[in-house]
Amino acid sequence: MQLEGMNGMISSPTLTLEDIVAKTSDLPSLPAAALAVMRETDSPTGTAQSIARYLSQDQALTARILRLANSAYYGLARQIIDVSDAVVVLGMRCIRNLCMVASTYPWMTKPLKGYGLGPREMWTHSFAVAVGSQLVATRSRSAVSDQAFTAGLLHNLGKVALSIWLEDKLGGMLAIACREGLTFDQVERKILGFDHCDVGAHMGEVWNLPKPLIEAMKFHHNPNGCEPFNPLVDCVHVADYLTMSMGLGLGGDGLRYDFQEEALIRLNLTPESFDELAEEFMVSYEQHEKLFEDAS
Amino acid sequence: MPAVGSAVLVGMADIQVIKGSGQLSCLGLGSCIGLCGLDPIANVAGMVHVMLPQAFQNKGEAKPGKFADTGVPALIAEMLKAGADRGRLRFAMAGGAQVFKFSANTESKLDIGARNAQAVQEVIRSLGLRIIAHDTGGSVGRTVSFTTETGIYTVKTVTSGETTLCNLRA
Repeated sequence: MQLEGMNGMISSPTLTLEDIVAKTSDLPSLPAAALAVMRETDSPTGTAQSIARYLSQDQALTARILRLANSAYYGLARQIIDVSDAVVVLGMRCIRNLCMVASTYPWMTKPLKGYGLGPREMWTHSFAVAVGSQLVATRSRSAVSDQAFTAGLLHNLGKVALSIWLEDKLGGMLAIACREGLTFDQVERKILGFDHCDVGAHMGEVWNLPKPLIEAMKFHHNPNGCEPFNPLVDCVHVADYLTMSMGLGLGGDGLRYDFQEEALIRLNLTPESFDELAEEFMVSYEQHEKLFEDAS
Repeated sequence: MPAVGSAVLVGMADIQVIKGSGQLSCLGLGSCIGLCGLDPIANVAGMVHVMLPQAFQNKGEAKPGKFADTGVPALIAEMLKAGADRGRLRFAMAGGAQVFKFSANTESKLDIGARNAQAVQEVIRSLGLRIIAHDTGGSVGRTVSFTTETGIYTVKTVTSGETTLCNLRA
């Protein structure tokens, strides 16, 4: 893909989707052990032993997981001293989520100037969408809740890579959005030829993530565009809306996105029950946030 | 007990009241509303961070500030308890943003931001009071602050910086 920037906003040389991944320094990555744990928990043959074996190959990740597992949030009566113990006590699904949190936290807490996000704001938003997606998946019984958690956590991955290329352009992009009545992702496509959803999906492919997760990144602002419909995409779309509405980790793009009510309908949730869902979401988010009170 | 001479963060669903000098702030309002009240003679100020328009029936709630219909009266009650006079109260509010566009039924209940702003206005009006300035709607996140000494209520956004909405002492 190779598309010219518009209005001089993106200077030459012309930027392509592949360039974003190839030329961005300090690009985030997921540890191989985290990817292996994700695959194992999705696999019918995955076992506590195999997960512990993969995790033990990455000492830094193991240390972060043990720190989270021993936080006051879980309130365990005794200290967990190794990953085998952690998998047995907390369960495979919980360890998967902790593994994703421990893997993404270091780079998601950095500020993203291109989106007007200060330190930790990207993290706040992503973690809230993860918690919200898990809640929506559980309530609608439409998707596996820990897959929804991962999809929510990673949905804005593209912003992490794209931010540096958009620095000093945010004001101009918002001016275009206001003048032409466009959403922020439409402006990204207008000036770059692709948006943060495309970049995230491309990175997901490079990382060899499962297809449903890649779709969640690619279609989280346009779930109607995902064919066939993917419940994970719908869960992330609804959770993203809840998170934006509650003002969690809002950047300069704010709430300048579409909400496709059809996603809610496909999940068998009603607009009339939305206030209760929002309230339940905030209670759940505040509970989960405690995980980091003494572990981050 | 109202805080005195301090900078107070008003978290989601919180109600905070200060007597004397100090500052009240709500960070990162999306669809939520930051409603601020002041009695300029008694020097009592208060702020509520409203999340949703209406409390749920048949569901007890420990935090009345969460909803407009319970939060606004609770804010006023706290201010009166701190020495404010109901007849001197002045209000300003900001927030109530929503997503840029809904794809389907515009009459649905999904526009939390607009419904929050309307609900706060209605409750204030039903109590015979008045909001003298507001900055609501749109698709931007806002951080709001109120300084009791100056009476100035400011609204800050990522792109526009900090602007003065009104002076509740004027």
